[in-house]
This record gives sequence, C-alpha cells and structure tokens, in this order.
Amino acid sequence: MRKSKLIVSMLLAGTLAVSLLTGCGGSSQETSASSDGKIKEFSAFFATAGKELPDNNRLKNVIAEKIGAKINEQWLTGQTAKERIGVMIAGGEYPDIIDGGDGTQALVDAGALIPLEDKIDKYPNIKNFLTPTQWEKLRKEDGHIYFIQQFGQIRNKDTQVQHNDEAFWIQKAVLEWANYPKITTIDQYFDLIEKYKAANPQVNGQPTIGFEVLSDDWRYFCLENPPQFLAGYPNDGKAIIDKSTLTAKNYNTIPEAQKYFKKLNDEYNKGIIDQETFTASYDQYTSKLSTGRVLGMVDQHWEFLTAENSLKQQHLDERTWVPLGLTIDPNVKAQYRAKPAFNAGGGIGISKSCKDVDGALKAINDLLSPDVLTLRYWGEKDKDYKVDDKGLFYRTDEQRENARNQDWVNANMCMYTYLPQYTAGYLDDGINTILPEQQQTEFEATLTDSDKKVLNAYGFKNWTEFLNQVPEENEPWYPIYSACSTWSADQPEQMAMQKMDDIKKQWLPKVIMVKPNEFDSTWNQYQTTLITQADVKAYEDALTKEVKRRVEKFGKGN
Amino acid sequence: MELEVKNINPNPEIKTKNNLMKNMKKQKTLILMSIPFVIYTFIFNYTPLVGWLMAFQKFKPAKSLFDQTWCGIDQFKILFSDPNFIKVIRNTLCMSLINLTLGFICSIGFALLLNEVRLMFAKKFVQTISYLPHFLSWIIVTGIVADVLSPETGIINQILVGLHIISQPINFFADTKYFWGIVGLTNVWKEVGWGSIIYLAAITSINPDLYEAAEIDGAGRFKKMLHVTLPGIKSTIFILLIMNIGNIVNAGFEVQYLLGNGLVQDVSQTIDIFVLKYGISLNNYSLATAAGIFKSVISVTLIYIANRFAKSAGEERLF
Repeated sequence: MRKSKLIVSMLLAGTLAVSLLTGCGGSSQETSASSDGKIKEFSAFFATAGKELPDNNRLKNVIAEKIGAKINEQWLTGQTAKERIGVMIAGGEYPDIIDGGDGTQALVDAGALIPLEDKIDKYPNIKNFLTPTQWEKLRKEDGHIYFIQQFGQIRNKDTQVQHNDEAFWIQKAVLEWANYPKITTIDQYFDLIEKYKAANPQVNGQPTIGFEVLSDDWRYFCLENPPQFLAGYPNDGKAIIDKSTLTAKNYNTIPEAQKYFKKLNDEYNKGIIDQETFTASYDQYTSKLSTGRVLGMVDQHWEFLTAENSLKQQHLDERTWVPLGLTIDPNVKAQYRAKPAFNAGGGIGISKSCKDVDGALKAINDLLSPDVLTLRYWGEKDKDYKVDDKGLFYRTDEQRENARNQDWVNANMCMYTYLPQYTAGYLDDGINTILPEQQQTEFEATLTDSDKKVLNAYGFKNWTEFLNQVPEENEPWYPIYSACSTWSADQPEQMAMQKMDDIKKQWLPKVIMVKPNEFDSTWNQYQTTLITQADVKAYEDALTKEVKRRVEKFGKGN
Repeated sequence: MELEVKNINPNPEIKTKNNLMKNMKKQKTLILMSIPFVIYTFIFNYTPLVGWLMAFQKFKPAKSLFDQTWCGIDQFKILFSDPNFIKVIRNTLCMSLINLTLGFICSIGFALLLNEVRLMFAKKFVQTISYLPHFLSWIIVTGIVADVLSPETGIINQILVGLHIISQPINFFADTKYFWGIVGLTNVWKEVGWGSIIYLAAITSINPDLYEAAEIDGAGRFKKMLHVTLPGIKSTIFILLIMNIGNIVNAGFEVQYLLGNGLVQDVSQTIDIFVLKYGISLNNYSLATAAGIFKSVISVTLIYIANRFAKSAGEERLF
C-alpha cells in the first residue's frame, strides 16, 4: 500500500517537473509538427493570468486548418510579469510570440524582440489594424517598432452596447418610479434621488442610501475627477486641456469643482450621501451596492460589476444602474464616452527565438481577416450560430446556453484573447458585429423585462445611448494621464502630483462633510492648501508641455 | 547559564591572549556549531547592507549600483525638510508607545489574572481563545474592526445609541481623535493572549517555596501576586522591554494602511506608509532607503540605551 502510494507520488512529482521544464523552455516549434505536415505551430506567452486551451479545442483546430497555423498560448502563473520576463531574459530563450506586460520594456532593452516596422507593410490586416498615428506612437526612440498593441480597436463603427467607463449611475427602479424623466444636470439628478428616497425610505427592508462616493485608496478618483466631466471635458484624468490654447489646467480649482462639491456638501447634510462613504473600503462599497439600496453613484462601470452580477442573481434587475452623462450647465455637451485610450506601452512582439517570423506575422494577419474573426468570436456556421434570410447572424437558445457555459467555451471556442482583436465594430458585410454580444438580437436576448421597459421608455437600442456618441477621433493628447507614468521621482511634477493626491484625499471629504454654512471657508482653506503646499504650476506646466509635444508629433487623430 | 559559569576564568593573572586560545580550544565544538549561523547572518543580514549605498545616489532601476549618480545626503535633506515626514515620525512614535504600553500592561495583567484561575479547564479554555486572534491576518482583523465600528451596522454604535449615551452614531474612522485609540485597542485584542504566554511560562518557573513562605507570613492572593509573582517575572519583563524598544520605530504598516483613509491621514500614516507612498510607488528607491537607514539608526540607538539602562538597574540584559 505504502509502496504504491510512493510510486504514485513519484510519478506525480515527475510529471510536474517535466511540465515545469517544458513550461519554462517555451522553445520554438515551428517545424511542421502536426499530423498533416502543413500546420505550423507557434508558441506564445502572455504575461497575465489566463486559461490555457486544451489541444483538442474544436475551433482552434478549425482555425488552424483554415490559416495553416496554430498558436499555443501560455499564461502567467504564480509569478509577476517582471519576474517571469526576467527569467526568460536571463535564459535567452523566448516563445515565438510574446506580450511581456510590465516586463515589455525589459524585453525591448534586452533586444529580445525583433523590429517589425519593415515587415508590417506586407500584412494588410495588421497594417490597417492600427492607424498611422498609432503606429507612430508605438515607434521607440531608436526608430523601431517592436510590438503591436492588440487592444482597444474599433472596426468601421462603434457597436458597443454597454458603457464600461465612468458616469453618474442611477437605479432603473428610480427612473421607472419617476416615469423615465430626462436627466442631464447634476441638480436634476440629486433632485430625483432626494424625491425617491423621501418616498421610499427603505429598499428590501433596509434604509435607502441616496448616493455613494467610493474613496478607498487609489479608487478615490470617483471622488476627485467628476468635475472634469461636469465641465464638459473627456476623461483626460489628470487635467482638463483647453483646445484653443493647448494648455493643461488641473480641474480642482475650476468653478465647476466648487459647484459640484457644494452640491455634495448639501446632499451630505441632507443625509442623501452615505455618511460612511469616505471611510468605507472597496469591499464595504461592493457589499452595500449588492444590497440594491444604493440609488446612485459616480464610478467606472468595471468597478461595480461584482455588485451588478450579485443583484442579477438575486433577480433584482431593477436595482441595477443606468449610466447618465451629467453636466452642471445644461448647455454644455458632456463627453463621458471616448474611443478606447491607446496604450503605446505594450503589446505583442515577435521574439528573436522565433525561427519563422514571416509565418508568425502571417498567422496574426490571418487571424484578423473577417472570416477568421467570425470563427474566433461566433464559431462555426450552423454549429455555433445560424444565419437568417437577411444574412444576419443569430444564436439559438441552445447555442446561447453553450456560450454562457465556461466549460463548453473552453473546449470549443478559441478567441485568442491576447492576440490583436477588436473591441467593437462590424464584419465586412456591415450588418454583423464582430462580437456576438454586440449583435442587436443577441444583446436583446440578454435583457430582462425591466431592462426592456427602461430602454423602450427612452426609445434607446442599448445602454450607450444614454450618453454621448463615441467621437470619430480622440484628441491627439488623449489621455493626458498616460504622461504621468513616465515622470520620475526627481521631477517636481511627480512630487506635486503625489502632494495634490494627499491633499485632495484629506480635504475633499472634509469640504463635503462640514456644515453648509462652513462650506465656503473650508473650500477656501482647501484651495489655499492645494496651491501653497503642492507645486501646482510645475504640474500644469509639465502636462502642457506634453500636450504640445503630442500635438506636434501626432497632429490630429488618435 | 551553566556554560557561562564553567568558563569563568579561574586564574585572572594568566595572560588574556593565552586565555582566549585556551577558551577557544575548550569550546571548539560550540564554535564549530555556530559557524553556519554566522555565515547565514552574514549573507542575509549584513550583505544586503551594501544596498544602503542607494540612499546616497539618485538611483535609477535597471542600472548597476555603481553606475548611478551620487548625490551625497540630498535624500536625507529632502526627507527632513518634508513636513509630512516629521508628521509620520510623530505618528509612528506615538502609536508605538501606545501599543507598547497597552501591550505590556494588558499582557502582564492578563497573565497574572490567568495564573490565579484555579480551574485548569477554564484556564486553558480562556488562554486558547485569547491567543487565537494572533493567527488572524491583519486584513481580517481590520475588516472585523471596520464592521464593529461602522456607524450604520456596527455593534458599538448600536449599543451606545441604544443606551442613549450618544444620540447620533459616531463615524469613528472619520475623526482624527479616535484613530490612535482604535489602533491601540485593536493591537491589544489581537496580541494580548499571545503576549501573555511568555509571562505565564515565566510564572511557572517561580519556586513554589516562595509562595509557601509568603503564605506563612500571612500574605493573601493579591499580596502574593504583588510580592512574589511580579518580582519573579521581572527579568523576563526587562528582556522583552529591551527587545520591544528596538521595535519602536516599527509601529506597523498593515493596520494603519488598512484602517486609515484620506480624512485621518494626518494621524494614520507611519514611516512605512510614507516609504511606500513617496518611495516605492514613485520608484524613488533612494528616498525609501534613506528612510530605512534612519529607522535602523534609531532602532539600534534605542536598543543600546535600553540595554545600558537595564545594566545600571542591575537587570538581565540582551548584550
């Protein structure tokens, strides 16, 4: 008995060791390994957690048949990106295709990635995947392009159905109660919340909470950045940029900021804002939202997905939220939606260990062709989706059920989630979206009755229509916050930014929590502290300089 | 103890050098046994001190330590001209002192009381329960504390309001005046049971004859506690005090980081949090190292002073 146990454990340890070794090796296997002798195999490593697909994954093999190449994805486990990349650099052996995450710069510095700028012209899908300006942004100082940023692209036209970014949110139940009013200003918004709370002091047996402001650690942007939106600017994050003079201004001192925080001060003293909100942790915030008694908040959508899912599971769909693009002055055009910000700091590259660079690029190019995009996201015709007589793709109930089942998806679908892909847009036919969940029929199939009621009442097709349309192009400097990550500690603007953060974290809750008659004096104290203790000028000047640099370098366009 | 007695030089007039050789010969097994530990300490505790050089540079990652720009004591100047740093030193020292005092008083008091429990089962039961929180991580403990003190659902506020001691729930975490107290009490709750174990052990080694003698002299339980138990564990108390005084600049990181928020940051930030915020997260490793050196220097000085103090008080000491 004992002996057999020993053998079993030895075997297990052995396989583990072997799998570890092969995992680390990640060597190139571009030689025709597959049975028919035609399909090339490429190894790929992505420095983020992910799910490995089984070898017999159906679509992976279908796509391989079609394009003659297969990409074996490996993901980060048990290490940070920097550590894993460090090990690879030390060993000098790389997978064929690689996204180094945080370690991307280290890969470039180590000369592990091969320059791509002379090659991309041969691959039209890759070339057209990014705009010329975006390619320019990826170009390093040495004149080479080492990687392709794979995320955030929209093909032809925006087809997103859900707003994933920041907005003021309001419960569907509140809109229904007030008979679907049109809400565009912060005054109307709080007015509605006040009235609803007065009429419904309890939700599901617990006291109603009017408004939450998440302010836990780095998440306190929910507290500090709404003034930029309320003044009609997009989410540049660290400052608002004047288009005519191209100067950056911090939004803590603009009149809209004062008006907004004065409003919050009023609401706090009226008991509309949760009195715990500035001391609550993110977990407490999530659990409060999950009870369905929070009527509204200002936040990024991705921050409260857990709460939203929990409410859906409790069948409290009417307690989930709808985004609103509010301003202070009703005549100002709100800009809550923008094209996805382009991240020029990372992407996938081809390593110098890759023995068939052109083969790898051809595979990536093929993966972006409309036919293969359909296979990646929709699957195989008739097996995974059907086509109606107008040529529109749709799924049957059974196919929808499959697509929701993670085990099924893992065994059948192959989306290559870290290779170049589209966030939204249409296939070449112009009627079918690339992503099934953005297809109108499929989106509607996920809606509950209460969702449909809200959308119908406003005459909207999807949730994004509550906000502004995504602009054709972002401003060339957008988003300016990306400049801050390049600052180093000995630059005064870096110190200023940290100081401003500290001051805002302390003073913003303070100005909201004081008695209404003390607001003005507290606000003035706050402004004085901000200007005297932090080098705001150095901060603004650094951002202005960067805005001008970006305009000069990239001109118009994203 | 015994070894030390054996090694006392019987003939003080013999030359010291000779004596040293002799002693070394005599103790060669002991010396051999200690060599691995000396090597270990050297590799893991002394070699990293080379990194202190960073504090005198403008350190940029990805370059070797010797390719950096040297900047003298600029980092220290930045540190001490920052009003925030002075504030965090104050916070660290105050919270440490509160923790130290409360921790000592409560642990010793708890050990004394527990020692008087006659029912063995009850004693073991209480002891086990009281030291269990020690094994919880701070993230859990701070979660419990936040829940208990919550103005809406917290039991403390509900009791206070229910007894009409206060009319409105208090938002404990929004007011700077409560923060140090909360941290102190949280520490006591978490560590008191664990801290008392060592005193309980020391108490068991007190000679029972002393208690008998005291009883014959007419001492009651309280008098015995005061005149036998406490003096009996005095040396243990001193040793622990010396060791803890060296830790006084380590007021903790997790508890303040997790319980603190923007409103109370003036009193909640400790040196460690400052290092994280202005050093590591801004990639300013030089500043972080400078703050670390400052901490180490203070620690060593404090230990030395406490040790001297113990020596002159005729107590057991560390070195």
